[in-house]
Amino acid sequence: MAGRLEGKVAVVTGAAQGIGLAIATRYAAEGATVVLSDLDADRAQAAAAAIGPGATAVGCDVTDEGQVASLIAGVVEGHGGLDVAVANAGVAVVAPAVGQSLADWRKVIAVNLDGVFLTLTHAAGAMAASGGGSLVTIASVTAQAGSPLIASYAAAKAGAVNLTKTIAVEMRDHGVRANAICPGFIDTELVKPHKQTFADALGLQAMGIPDFDAFIAMKQGRYGTEEEVAALATFLASDRSGFCTAGEYNLDGGLRASLL
Amino acid sequence: MSDLELEGRRAHVTGAASGIGWAIAQRLAAGGARVAISDIDEAGAIARAAELGSGHLGVRANVRSMDEVTAALAATVDAFGGLDLLVNNAGIEIGVPVVETDEADFMRLMDINVTGVFRCTKAAAGALAEAAAAGSDAAIVNIASVAGVGGVPLLGAYCASKAAVIRFSEVCAIELREAGVRVNAVCPAFIDTPMVQRLAPAVAAMTGMEFGDVVAVKQGRYGTLEEVAEVVAFLGSSEAGWTTGSHYVLDGGLSGGLL
Ligand SMILES: NC(=O)c1ccc[n+]([C@@H]2O[C@H](COP(=O)([O-])OP(=O)(O)OC[C@H]3O[C@@H](n4cnc5c(N)ncnc54)[C@H](O)[C@@H]3O)[C@@H](O)[C@H]2O)c1
Ligand SMILES: NC(=O)c1ccc[n+]([C@@H]2O[C@H](COP(=O)([O-])OP(=O)(O)OC[C@H]3O[C@@H](n4cnc5c(N)ncnc54)[C@H](O)[C@@H]3O)[C@@H](O)[C@H]2O)c1
Repeated sequence: MAGRLEGKVAVVTGAAQGIGLAIATRYAAEGATVVLSDLDADRAQAAAAAIGPGATAVGCDVTDEGQVASLIAGVVEGHGGLDVAVANAGVAVVAPAVGQSLADWRKVIAVNLDGVFLTLTHAAGAMAASGGGSLVTIASVTAQAGSPLIASYAAAKAGAVNLTKTIAVEMRDHGVRANAICPGFIDTELVKPHKQTFADALGLQAMGIPDFDAFIAMKQGRYGTEEEVAALATFLASDRSGFCTAGEYNLDGGLRASLL
Repeated sequence: MSDLELEGRRAHVTGAASGIGWAIAQRLAAGGARVAISDIDEAGAIARAAELGSGHLGVRANVRSMDEVTAALAATVDAFGGLDLLVNNAGIEIGVPVVETDEADFMRLMDINVTGVFRCTKAAAGALAEAAAAGSDAAIVNIASVAGVGGVPLLGAYCASKAAVIRFSEVCAIELREAGVRVNAVCPAFIDTPMVQRLAPAVAAMTGMEFGDVVAVKQGRYGTLEEVAEVVAFLGSSEAGWTTGSHYVLDGGLSGGLL
């Protein structure tokens, strides 16, 4: 059976590791030509080589408009168009909002919101020029609720979700769809170093919860996997989701469904 | 990589003799699932199951009756040896201003659209948990509507019922999580089915626009039956193995935009 993204050209930002890498890997397996871009060009290169034919890599800092513009232009030039763009690159600063420096705030907003703005707008322009495409923003369930210790991250994600919807509405008549994926916690390098900080700030010990992993098991059953995000990103990239646009799709093991 | 992993899944779809439910049944069967089609229209359910070919089941179930629902789900488990997926699709509409809506009609709609989902969930939960315990990715997909996400004039009872389905799905997701049963809702905008054809004249009169223009302006175009069925198939498959308690909207941007 043919892959679900056969013949499509896709670009994924922040694809050297974690969720972005899983998405690029799955896209390639589904028959797409994939360009992995990342701040870390060498690791992106190695990742593309590991995926094999159909995958290439380009260094790109999503906070730099010139680099994003040339990434997109390069994909269009090299592959004759652009069908799918995934705004995945993201960073986090883990500290209380009160007392946080403006520099730290801006560092996160620059990647997680400005970077999404640049990726989506440049990609949408290229897609519109060739009849349409699908934009996928990797946001987060933190976009939907107050999220202690990650104020800048959650605010940027909320902004990214809203931006995705606005672009979807503006670009519908150009055949460009745009959707946001809101995952719960996935056990990647973004989360691993901060488990103890979260456990302490949430006072888990006092609640009789041994550690952050146990807390996650209570809240969302288990950690989600990068591959599960990739499966949803594949569905949203494919033509099977043709009526899905301006949507916000949670996958979080039930985290957001419960008030408790 | 190939199709969603539906091969061999044992599914039950309510209200599947017509419209969206029938499209879901066809999609699941095309993916290799065995499908039980239930409907208040018994002849329709049996005829549709026959159309799918051998290995499927057509059975009567009025979702207003706990007895009928229980019997139909038991028949499904009997025929297929278990149940992996329940799709709660049966539903009705009322297109009348709230103050003109008959109390009995309002209650009837709630009884089908909300209590019907409760009845089928209750009747199926045991079999789904058993399947999960045996290693299956057991799931329930509830067909809500974008009308459960935002208000639509003339659809007071309907909107209230679909909002209820979304919230109910969340609670079921949490309560059934440990048993390994996922529960999600799907929220389509206008799809060209008999239901929408019945609603169209009242909506057109209310908005002063041709109904086709309302659809074009608000959601770009009609969503297709196949597009709804794809989202249901995705949520009903192990591809969405960590998705529970969510509602997936497909509406061409209808609810995502402000104006
Ligand atoms: N891990 C989670 O729990 C989780 C949950 C929800 C959403 N997300 C989101 O998923 C996305 C990927 O996260 P991850 O968990 O895989 O994290 P990760 O840290 O493993 O990977 C992030 C990647 O982005 C790259 N990157 C960072 N800054 C960049 C920049 N300026 N330009 C280009 N690339 C840059 C990094 O080099 C890295 O390869 C992020 O947007 C994150 O916010 C993660
Ligand atoms: N058509 C749309 O635009 C649209 C949009 C969003 C959601 N929905 C929802 O999708 C579902 C299917 O709608 P449709 O458009 O296919 O409608 P439809 O009227 O074409 O089909 C509904 C089916 O449900 C059956 N049914 C009605 N009452 C029943 C009962 N008490 N017990 C068992 N079966 C019963 C009917 O016999 C029919 O076969 C409904 O829940 C509806 O609210 C429809």
